[in-house]
Amino acid sequence: MGARVLAPEGEPIEFIYNGHKFHIHAIVSRWRESGGWWNRISDGKNRVNEENIFDDGARAIWRVEAAPVGALATFEIELDEVTKTWLIRPTSRPA
Amino acid sequence: MKNFTHLRVASGYSFKYGTAHASQLVERAAEFEMSALALTDIDTMAGAIRFTKSCEASGIAPILGINLSFIQKKYRVTLLAQGGELSSLYRLVTEINSNNSESLLTYSLLERFSQYSRNLLILHGPESQLAQVIASRKNHEALSIFNATRELFADQALECVSHLIRGDGTLSTSYAARTLSFARDNQIPAVLSNAVRMLDRSDGPVADVLDAARKLVPLSSKNVNRQNSEAYFKSSSEMSYLADEISRLAGERDGRLLLATTADWAKRATLSPRKDVGIGEIHLPDAQSLGSKNQSELASQLRSRCEAGLSRRYVGAKSVVAASRLEEELSAIRALGYESYFLTVADITDMSRERGIRVAARGSGAGSLICHVLGISGVEPITHGLLMERFCSPLRGELPDIDIDVESARRLEIYDAIFEKYGQRCATVSMVETYRSRHAIRDVGAALGISPMEIDLIAKSMPHIRASNIPKALANLPELKHLNLDTPILKMAIELAGRLDSLPRHLSMHPCAIVLADQGLGDYAPQQINASGYPMLQFDKDDVEAIGLLKLDVLGVRMQSAISYTLSEIERIEGAPLDIDAISLDDKKTFDLIKSTRTLGIFQIESPGQRELVGKFAPSTFNDLIIDISLFRPGPVKSDMITPFLATRHGLRIRPRIHEDLEDILSETEGVVVFHEQVIRIISTMTGITLAEADEKRRQLGDIANQEAFCDWFYPVAVARGYTNLVVNEVWEILRAFASFGFCKAHAAAFALPTYQSSWLKTHHTAAFLAGVLTHEPGMYPKRVILDEARQWGIKLAPIDVNLSDATYRVEKTSDVVRAPYLAPNVASSGEVLELPDARGFAIRMSLSDIDGIDSKEVMSIISGRPYLDLADFVYRSGASRPTTESLLMVGGFDNLHKLSTSEINRRDLLLHLQDLYRLAGSKRTTGQSQMTFELQPPSLEPSGLPDITASEQVKSEIDILGMDISSHLLEFYGDFLNKIGAVRSSDLIKHRSGTSVLVAGVKVALQTPPVRSGRRVMFLTIDDGFGCNDITFFEDKQADFATVLRNSWLFLVRGEIRRTGPRGISLLGTGAWELAISHEKWRNLAVYGASGL
Repeated sequence: MGARVLAPEGEPIEFIYNGHKFHIHAIVSRWRESGGWWNRISDGKNRVNEENIFDDGARAIWRVEAAPVGALATFEIELDEVTKTWLIRPTSRPA
Repeated sequence: MKNFTHLRVASGYSFKYGTAHASQLVERAAEFEMSALALTDIDTMAGAIRFTKSCEASGIAPILGINLSFIQKKYRVTLLAQGGELSSLYRLVTEINSNNSESLLTYSLLERFSQYSRNLLILHGPESQLAQVIASRKNHEALSIFNATRELFADQALECVSHLIRGDGTLSTSYAARTLSFARDNQIPAVLSNAVRMLDRSDGPVADVLDAARKLVPLSSKNVNRQNSEAYFKSSSEMSYLADEISRLAGERDGRLLLATTADWAKRATLSPRKDVGIGEIHLPDAQSLGSKNQSELASQLRSRCEAGLSRRYVGAKSVVAASRLEEELSAIRALGYESYFLTVADITDMSRERGIRVAARGSGAGSLICHVLGISGVEPITHGLLMERFCSPLRGELPDIDIDVESARRLEIYDAIFEKYGQRCATVSMVETYRSRHAIRDVGAALGISPMEIDLIAKSMPHIRASNIPKALANLPELKHLNLDTPILKMAIELAGRLDSLPRHLSMHPCAIVLADQGLGDYAPQQINASGYPMLQFDKDDVEAIGLLKLDVLGVRMQSAISYTLSEIERIEGAPLDIDAISLDDKKTFDLIKSTRTLGIFQIESPGQRELVGKFAPSTFNDLIIDISLFRPGPVKSDMITPFLATRHGLRIRPRIHEDLEDILSETEGVVVFHEQVIRIISTMTGITLAEADEKRRQLGDIANQEAFCDWFYPVAVARGYTNLVVNEVWEILRAFASFGFCKAHAAAFALPTYQSSWLKTHHTAAFLAGVLTHEPGMYPKRVILDEARQWGIKLAPIDVNLSDATYRVEKTSDVVRAPYLAPNVASSGEVLELPDARGFAIRMSLSDIDGIDSKEVMSIISGRPYLDLADFVYRSGASRPTTESLLMVGGFDNLHKLSTSEINRRDLLLHLQDLYRLAGSKRTTGQSQMTFELQPPSLEPSGLPDITASEQVKSEIDILGMDISSHLLEFYGDFLNKIGAVRSSDLIKHRSGTSVLVAGVKVALQTPPVRSGRRVMFLTIDDGFGCNDITFFEDKQADFATVLRNSWLFLVRGEIRRTGPRGISLLGTGAWELAISHEKWRNLAVYGASGL
């Protein structure tokens, strides 16, 4: 079960973290990662979906500035594109 | 939003890098409603014409460029041709390729060829030296790099690319933004691209496999650079989003300026498919190259040469017919402006003959009288009813195709002569090798680290099919049944192999095509130097046709070499030359030989299937041979055109006569339509249109979609000319049925000529002909089968002799008559007695070149040292290596020299003697002498009292060293066994009834598994037992049990059912196959232990 993220046009705008609702003020940076599909073949971790029989581990990451009421913090929000689940990490690193 | 133009796109022509076909990229651009698209493959422009054709079809403006190394191997830039300046890009690419093999554009090349580069645009992308210096914030150095090439290009831009890589390195958004900032600070234009290498995000794994195959490494995180799948073909809105992101990071409000500059550059580089790329143009050799000043001089040159040729070849009434046909053909050529085409081809055939190289035309060109009188084609077109219109007509918008067959052994001499004479005007053509099943499986398997043995097993059993058909083939191959193809890794491998399907892998030289054009050839196509050192266009044969370059196929035909060699042997032995091109075409003895089906070695009619057909057909004229060759093709065989033809020919069927107007056309083939020429004549006769028009109609018939249109036109016109509905109906049915199976008679006639010539030579000069076949190996049979054939005609096989054997097979006259010549049974249906050759009194001397491991230098050195006095003398002077000398000794090369047959010394003694000689020489060599010398007397040769080697040891050495059995047939050692179990000799099979189950034995001659449309596999095994060949067919139900034996064994015991197919036609339906040695072993054990039966 992934985190709950509101992303009406594919880009996250709101999410719930530690029971609090955060609003995203700015996207600091975004990137995408994938690869290593060949490692998942024989270890049985290959997650197959309808578009593709290769689990290329594709994920899109946004580093964002977001705030509950009052406070501002930096998070990384990750969408696992194979399972369509979200993951949220607070981060103190600058973008 | 405005549409985006991708300026940097690598297709599959970026070998083992790009994952998409150029046509797929164009299709995607059309889907995205883009108006232009660039192709900038890595190091090559091989995809340019296909790409342009796709663009034209989709209404997209093409942009052409190339991505190559600049200054240093590790830095890459992209060059684009400006509109109207494509030839500058071609010329520069050609110059780069002529100066180094790694497509490296150096400063010095750039300065030397700045007249070309000044018309080109250059993009400094993320892999360029410039971008990398900017990234490390050395702005001053960056500016000086930029300024250094300022004068050498029409314009330069920085190319911003973001693949959304994490951090701030190459291909990250922040890297792109820094590049953009630098451009803005220094007033340098900046454009946006996505450095596309795949179509979709999901193609990442395919890219990884290609990277691994290119770098020859297995996939692992260490070996793979790809961090995500962003190098795909993004839409305009995706690109615009990226433009905004990059621009904002560089401090701009949005990406508008970046996109506008990109659009502006795209516009500057847009090309016209017709005006720039030259689709639909024609560039024939110019008049000057043929010694004429202009087109009209060229026309009179052609006329006078044709008239001279005509008067040499035609006399009397025929010459009148020929003269009027020549006028017709000349006026058609005049209208087309093809004079230089014919004169160039004639010039090349003349050049070959001047060098004594045999040459013959093939293809529809033999239908033209001009080709005949110019000496391009040896077949006389009028007598054989061949039509010029089938070959070339003003109604057809494409260049006619003439192919010439030359002696394979001397083909490159002709290439050299052509390049010497035509220089800049000619080049070879490339050929794109694409991924098919075997390569795809191998590359994927290696990338995924699947065990080489498993991959090898799958790859080897894979028929030559498209990689996308692999799953089907795997399911159908009996020998792979035990392999578990459901493991995740194999499933993945098969899926990936399918994705590689038909992607280009490599550019190689087309095996026989040469392009001949005018001085401007370098403007029409980029070139590189191929592995054989010839200039090669980066375009393939379809590409050159699309841009109107004359392509001449110069095919090496081994049979022409064999004929040439036969003629030289005849002249050497008989003392008089023979003009094979002047023999009459109606020699009865020649046709008797063909009818006997003893056609091994003869051009076109030696295969098991053809032997069956000539046995049934019994051809007796040259025209029959043309028909035979035309009938023996998959179409006529499948649609069973042969049965009604043969039934009528042998008087078993009275053929229906459709209409008297068509009798002339149909009677030669017994009412069955075999030739294109017949279709053309039928259409022309019944509708009154010209032959040229009728050929256009015939082409329409080939396409099912157009058949209806043809039918709608044909009925009313034919009826209006007075043909009854019944006749029109019947003709329409014939035309429709025939449409896909017809054959060009001119092409068949061109093939029939060497068929007849080789038959004639086999009939009248059997030994010389078979020596030619052994020397040049033109056919499908291994040498040992040809040797056996020679034996059966009474020719003595003379063993290798160091003093007599040559680099080739030599004919000798001998008084030694070894075996009675083969007597073919009568043709059963006619009772005709065949007159067959008697080749007794001749011997064929085995050649030195067949010794295992010998090289041509060694052969020449042995020959130049002859004659040798004895073994010691040979060791001393011949220059042969020790293994070669031992091999020569083992196959009897010194028997005659030492008179072994009459002396007490045997081969074992010679072998001991040889060891002594080398021992002595070895001790001398240690004293510092490099040359082998004997200061003292050589050691003496004495009988040791050891037994001589046995006959079977002798044959074993022959097989090991020469790859063939000479002193006796391999099967003779199994004679006792085969007699006891009742195996049937191939020559006796004809005595058995159809349906009988028999055992036969033999040595593998051939195993063929031709592709069958149904995907089912049939295996054809041909074995020889010293009495002839047996052909056995194995269908799928038997393959699971026997495929492995069939593939891996050499000596067979086979069980089969006899099938009679005609008067002399016989074949076996295989029901079992075993390795002969193993069967023999079992039988011996059974005999010892008293059990019975096999």
